[in-house]
Amino acid sequence: MLRKKTTLMVIVALIGVGATIGCKESEAVKAKSGAQLWAENCQRCHNLPDPSTFSDEQWSILVMHMQTRALLTNNERDKIYTFMRQFNR
Amino acid sequence: MKKSILLALMCSGSTLCSLNAEAQDSVAAAPGIDQKITEYRPGSAHFMLAGLTTFGFVMEKNTTSSTVGGPSIITKNSSIGDADRYEFSPMFLWRQSDKVLLEFEPSYTGGNSLSVNWADVSYFLTPGCIIRAGYLVLPFGMYSKRLAAGWINKLTSDPIGMDMPGSDYGVEVEGGFPMGNMKWNYDIAVSNGFQMDSTGSISSVGITSPNLNKTICGRIGLLPHAGSNLEIGFSALGGNLYAPQNYNYGNPTLMMYAFDLSYYKKIGMFTLNLKGQYNVETVNKQSYLNPLDTTSHTATYTFNNTVTAGFGQLSVRPTGLENFVKNFELGYRYVVYNTPDASLWGQNWTENDICLNYWLSWRQVIKIGYENINNVVKDNPTVGITGSTTITSRFILQFSTQL
Repeated sequence: MLRKKTTLMVIVALIGVGATIGCKESEAVKAKSGAQLWAENCQRCHNLPDPSTFSDEQWSILVMHMQTRALLTNNERDKIYTFMRQFNR
Repeated sequence: MKKSILLALMCSGSTLCSLNAEAQDSVAAAPGIDQKITEYRPGSAHFMLAGLTTFGFVMEKNTTSSTVGGPSIITKNSSIGDADRYEFSPMFLWRQSDKVLLEFEPSYTGGNSLSVNWADVSYFLTPGCIIRAGYLVLPFGMYSKRLAAGWINKLTSDPIGMDMPGSDYGVEVEGGFPMGNMKWNYDIAVSNGFQMDSTGSISSVGITSPNLNKTICGRIGLLPHAGSNLEIGFSALGGNLYAPQNYNYGNPTLMMYAFDLSYYKKIGMFTLNLKGQYNVETVNKQSYLNPLDTTSHTATYTFNNTVTAGFGQLSVRPTGLENFVKNFELGYRYVVYNTPDASLWGQNWTENDICLNYWLSWRQVIKIGYENINNVVKDNPTVGITGSTTITSRFILQFSTQL
């Protein structure tokens, strides 16, 4: 029981510290395009997806699914979705 | 004759004219259609089917030699598809709104039954906070949640030991945040937890937890490079284990830790991809019922119940080339898996895998792999185990695609 509480406290403390100090992105990161974020983040796990594979509606679902897997920030998710919509024609 | 042809041509012309007039009527109606198209809105609720399938052929040779001597036992088998290399897992995704996502992935891996990888609902509460509930993949390490799909995995099988802790019924909170040029993410879950059998082996307790205890599991990930090409993760899991009272355990608890790493970099014409994870699973000291005591069922024995599992893999692909050679990727993986020598299920497993992949598209791959496994079971007279060494050589041809 003590170990479980200690584990929980350590995890919550780390999340708390991170949330406190880690919510601001640099100007360079803020300026990244959707294409750049697509190239950087998708490759973390798999090959770069072809935007033309799915429709706008399907990408709106998939970016939500991928946000839960890759733990993308909201900004990254939205920019990648915009890029996918622009280039899936 | 000429008159007949002329008459036929006139009739045809007349028919064409009438068709053309109808077409012009349709064109006249076009503004209404245009308006309908303009007014069309896709809505916020969408459904799609994704998922994956993997199909393989395997040829295997096992050579087992016992510590008591005697001839080695050699077995050979070949199969078109088995549990580790054949999988059909359609994933149902419902985007109910920009806040709600439902995910369900049943999985068929052979036999007459279906299993479920996950069935959950996510609520996107705030930027950096997603709440999920249901049957979910526990946030422990990187492999189970991100790399296990056949079309993502660079090798032909899952590394042994990465299926723990797997999926469980629970609630999860997760999110990602920027931190200057870096990023970090968190993922924490509370779930029903695990049970331990009379041999000290762990398995999921299922949908009904037989006690009030819950297991807590979480992972913290850090991406220190601005390009997000490096991620380092630390995971922990802690909780009480359920066991029937007649096993006479003294408050068994489970602790797990894991380190994981993901890195990719383009060097010249090649893209290097490095992945790794190391798990440590420990149960506090317990006395276990000795199976050799078949009369009183009271004799016990004990051992350090610690399991370690890890893998490291490197793959190389010439992505900088402009011809078909860029579709090839070469992967190598080393796997280690150790269970307690003094238990009934003790083994020391080392594995070397190599695989040549050919990418038909970004989500379809043909793999040719070779796996060599050395599995040593040590003598354990306390519980009547005779030591042995099994060497397995395996050739695998596999196709995998995202659906």
